[in-house]
Amino acid sequence: MEPDVSIETSSMIRVAVLPIGEVPPSLMRDYLSMLLRHQAIPLSAISSFYTEHQKSPFANQPWDSGSLRFKFVLGGAPPSPWEDFQSNRKILAVIGICHCPSSPDLGFVVDQFNAACKGYSSALVERCFAFFPGDSQLEDGSKKGGNLMLFPPADRETQELHLQTMMQDIAASLLMEFEKWVLQAESTGTILKTPLDSQSSLSSEEVIKAKKRRLGRAQKTIGDYCLLAGSPVDANAHYSTALELSRLTGDFFWLAGAMEGSVCALLIDRMGQRDAVLEEEVRYRYHSVIVHYRKSFIQENAQRVSPITFELEATLKLARRELAKEVVDLLTAATDGAKSLIDSSDRLILYVEIARLYGTLGYDRKAAFFSRQVAQLYLQQENRLAAISALQVLALTTKAYRVQSIASVSKSSFAKKETGSGHADSTKMLHQSVVSLFESQWSTLQMVVLREILLSAVRAGDPLAAWSAAARLLRSYYPLITPAGQNGLASALSNSADRLPLGTRSADPALPFIRLHSFPLHSLQMDIVKRSLAREDWWAGSAPSGPFIYTPFSKGEPNNNSKQELTWVVGEPVQVLVELANPCGFDLRVDSIYLSVSSGNFDPFPVTIDLPTNSSKVITLSGIPTSVGPVTIHGCTVHCFGVITEHLFKDVDNLLLGAMQGLVLSDPFRCCGSGRLKNVSVPNISVVPPLPLLVSCIVGGDGAIILHEGEIRDVWISLANAGTVPVEQAHISLSGKNQDSVLSFASEILKSALPLKPGAEVTISVTLKAWRLGLVDADTAGGKSASGSIMRHSKDGNSPALLIHYSGPLTNSGDPQTNEIVIPPGRRLVVPLQICVLQGLSFVKARLLSMEIPAHVGENLPKLVQVDGHCSEGAIVSNNKMEKLVKIDPFRGSWGLRFLELELSNPTDVIFDISVSVQLENSSIEDGLSIDHDAAEYGYPKTRIDRDCSARVLIPLEHFKLPILDSSFFVKDDQADGVASGRSSVFSEKYTKAELNASIKNLISRIKVRWQSGLSSSGELNIKDAIHAALQTSVMDVLLPDPMTFGFRLLRSSSEPEDLGSHKESTAEVLSSASKGSVLAHEITPMEVMVRNNTKDMIKMSLSITCRDVAGENCVEGAKATVLLAGVLSGITMEVPSLQEIKHSFSLYFLIPGDYTLVANAMIDDANDILRARARTDSLDGPILCRGPPYHVHVVGTA
Amino acid sequence: MASTACFIIVSRNDIPIYEAEVGSAAKREDAAQLHQFVLHAALDIVQDLAWTTSAMFLKAIDRFNDLVVSVYVTAEVCMYLIFTCRMACLNWKQLLILLNPLYLPGSRVTSSHFDTKVRALARKYL
Repeated sequence: MEPDVSIETSSMIRVAVLPIGEVPPSLMRDYLSMLLRHQAIPLSAISSFYTEHQKSPFANQPWDSGSLRFKFVLGGAPPSPWEDFQSNRKILAVIGICHCPSSPDLGFVVDQFNAACKGYSSALVERCFAFFPGDSQLEDGSKKGGNLMLFPPADRETQELHLQTMMQDIAASLLMEFEKWVLQAESTGTILKTPLDSQSSLSSEEVIKAKKRRLGRAQKTIGDYCLLAGSPVDANAHYSTALELSRLTGDFFWLAGAMEGSVCALLIDRMGQRDAVLEEEVRYRYHSVIVHYRKSFIQENAQRVSPITFELEATLKLARRELAKEVVDLLTAATDGAKSLIDSSDRLILYVEIARLYGTLGYDRKAAFFSRQVAQLYLQQENRLAAISALQVLALTTKAYRVQSIASVSKSSFAKKETGSGHADSTKMLHQSVVSLFESQWSTLQMVVLREILLSAVRAGDPLAAWSAAARLLRSYYPLITPAGQNGLASALSNSADRLPLGTRSADPALPFIRLHSFPLHSLQMDIVKRSLAREDWWAGSAPSGPFIYTPFSKGEPNNNSKQELTWVVGEPVQVLVELANPCGFDLRVDSIYLSVSSGNFDPFPVTIDLPTNSSKVITLSGIPTSVGPVTIHGCTVHCFGVITEHLFKDVDNLLLGAMQGLVLSDPFRCCGSGRLKNVSVPNISVVPPLPLLVSCIVGGDGAIILHEGEIRDVWISLANAGTVPVEQAHISLSGKNQDSVLSFASEILKSALPLKPGAEVTISVTLKAWRLGLVDADTAGGKSASGSIMRHSKDGNSPALLIHYSGPLTNSGDPQTNEIVIPPGRRLVVPLQICVLQGLSFVKARLLSMEIPAHVGENLPKLVQVDGHCSEGAIVSNNKMEKLVKIDPFRGSWGLRFLELELSNPTDVIFDISVSVQLENSSIEDGLSIDHDAAEYGYPKTRIDRDCSARVLIPLEHFKLPILDSSFFVKDDQADGVASGRSSVFSEKYTKAELNASIKNLISRIKVRWQSGLSSSGELNIKDAIHAALQTSVMDVLLPDPMTFGFRLLRSSSEPEDLGSHKESTAEVLSSASKGSVLAHEITPMEVMVRNNTKDMIKMSLSITCRDVAGENCVEGAKATVLLAGVLSGITMEVPSLQEIKHSFSLYFLIPGDYTLVANAMIDDANDILRARARTDSLDGPILCRGPPYHVHVVGTA
Repeated sequence: MASTACFIIVSRNDIPIYEAEVGSAAKREDAAQLHQFVLHAALDIVQDLAWTTSAMFLKAIDRFNDLVVSVYVTAEVCMYLIFTCRMACLNWKQLLILLNPLYLPGSRVTSSHFDTKVRALARKYL
């Protein structure tokens, strides 16, 4: 059988084209292409070369329209045994092609050519074309003459013209040879045999028949030559004769041949016409050709030779002209004939032709099927060339079986896929596109085809093709391959890679499967914030989202994951997380894997990974952006199994999508145990020019700052610019919880350090105050303090953070024309202040204690109210330390002491020293009536609380009295007492409340309870609430003055000088002070009582002075008082004007020495509400009693 | 060969959603592969032919050597490719699958129940 046959083949003159000497393949191809232009030489063109020697047998040659056809057979062909049967099978001419520069010796060329021509005995014309001869060769060649044709070097056009002339010459020569042959055959006859003919001699009765048969065959052959000579009418005449004769003699084989020739003649004659009648005629005649070929089948020599090839060829010839339906039938019939073919190469050709015909019909799968049959036939030959052919044929089938290598997928189909996936918005569309991605998942077939490609590639010695096939097989069908098979493929991959040069790239990725895991956002240290020139405080808008994932403020922003944008900075390493999976049964070693970036402005760092059997791994791939612009990451470049491949994320995404829909065999990640991951899309990444980079470090270690509750400490944070650009702008703010625990931060230090050059460092201080632990915290801390698990309170969530927004200088864009200023983004540095608050002193309770120590009646009134605002403290308060605690209440006149007692316990394992200080400030007193001009703080002795101990701390409350008792103060008090006060207006109520609260606050704020533990930690106890609560009930007593102040004084002209140094202790002090102001018995003692009105109204009163002998604990009031002696001086009526004081002198005569107590009582008859309220009387009318503090009188002398 | 058959249901997109190699003959791997190759190639012809005829059952539309392909074309959904006829009753079985609301068009039929039924029918008719 012959390939590429058609009905017209019968009219083609077969010309062998042989390379003579060394001809480079590319040049050979070039020369051949020049030759191929002359496949048809018009008869009109050759007339000049044609000379009619005798009467031409081709009487009806169409000189004006006809032509000679050539079929060039490159490399020639062995003579066919069927040459006599079909003359077009003969090699009728030989053309040698010689490239002169590579074959210098023309004589040798001629010899070679002649030798080559010997193989073609049927050749009638022989020419050797020598291209590009040198000068000497030209000279030499012209001498040689003969068949050597020199083509002098010239431009292509000239050469083509030259070649055309030569071909016309050949055509003319052939025509003349045909005439000669036909004339000879007509006159002398010829014996024509085919392999079909029986070898045995003919029997006698068949001799006549044989003669006729011979005549018929001769006529058929003459007809063939007529066809070759381009004269269909002549051919037809001869074929008709041949048909008659062979039908008579029953020579069906030749009958079919003649019929075939006549159809060809018909077609040549009607060249260019196509009508239904002609088609019908051709079909009819060809069907009979096929039938006759079948008839000529002779059983006896079926093993040796069979006309089936002609039958099949005729079928194919017809099929080439036919319509689809008929073609399918014809080709199916031809396929059936394949089994009867003896020669496997015939079958090969048959299948090739069938595949080609199906291919032209558009039946890709049919074509692929037969191509694969062809490949199998090639593979049966078991030699390298056949394997190469098999590989090539199989490569053609990959498209139909959809296993083609990515390299062979054209760009256009890629683009189509891109748009396809781009449109996949709705789920329906998505599904459609996914389905189309996995169209024709004939996995069994695909695996077989790939395996055959692998086999043929290995045999053909094409390691890259083998690698690619094995990679496709392994990647797509690993679930269907046994672990042993997978191992085999792995070794096939590495064996192929061994034969490949280092660094070979393959378009088809093998393992592992790679999908995008995530893009880590910038760490808090390197966060990038967009800024605009329009806003000076660009950081304000970019408030951090805080500890919550969802914040209502960011609700409006498009938080769509797919539209995520990332900003990378030139020169700063970035990371991308990818997940690798090796679902196969062997350990996979990825020699290197790095991000594949098509934009070219990224410098990836390769890493090496080992993936054990059936495992997946999330790895970090990093790299450095090198220049400004967008970055597109398509996938990863992987060097695995010795070959570099590109793994696209998109492919794996599609695969996973398919797996989800049940269209793909298996999800490689799930079968490796990795969870289902949300589809991560590559965000838009843009690279910005270098930015400054601040790095923070807490001086003294980055660990948590451990503070006790209320502890105050300075923390130093050093900031260094690790970038390559100076910091020009910086702003510090706070975020997170417990922001008020940061008392201050030195932002001015940072500001003053700007611009911070690269490498420069600045240290800023932050003052922290530990917050109080919450109730729950305190409980757990208290309960577990023994086990030492307090540390767990150092959760990040509670700690505040410093936000430092900073930015580099504005840069000019590279374009000098526009010269516009590009605003590089700013950055944000988050310095988390890891504060771990330990439980400190715990507050147990607070209460207000009050006591009164009687004042001595002396020559001076104890600490009188000085109108001019000064009082001599030294007169009353001694230098003794303890004495300082005891001060006389100037408004009350006595030693009325009030202490705030705080009970503190220390559950921790450290020791605390408590110090209480009261800050005294003149200015804080409302109307400038200061009691104490000293603005310094009073320091009290430290109280030490050991671990697991409790202690009480006394805080003296004094000097806080308001100077005037005003009605407005009682509004609150009234209400507290349940007394309806119609007088108080809403306004005054509010006002006084606020004032009262303010004064309480003022009082509280001046009390500071500080503690110290160890050498370094100190802090302040937050007891505001405790004090507030303690004061709330007795605020009146503490804050408000009594309506009246009473004081007693001895009226004595001379006073003994005080000897302060002699006092040693407090008790001695009291005694000594008593002795100082001592009163002698049996002596008239003039005294003076001083009454001061602290209200704004005049008070009329009836004063009485009681003197009692002191015995017992409480001698002033109550039934228990043990009063030994009592005398009352009553009936002193006086009126005290508002804010004035009145003295009343009187004398006492003591009979018995001892200790006495003097108390002034004022009966106020028409007391107003204020006084009533102050005196806490419930009765609305009747006199109220206002009692002064007791005064102590020591009477000396003898009874 | 007569006693073996390959039965494939192909969905609209030419994706085989069900494959069964039925028959009593010893299963040879390459034979099964050849069956599939033949059926795959026959799809070309089925696609052309299905539009030219109103018949659902297209008997012996293609063959390769002695493997004869018959096709049952259902209402534009699926095609059976079988080497023997008389398996039309499978249509009902398959309809049940298609009516399953959980069945995703184009995905594989994995019901073992369906598989059992097919094989039982194959035993009956082969």
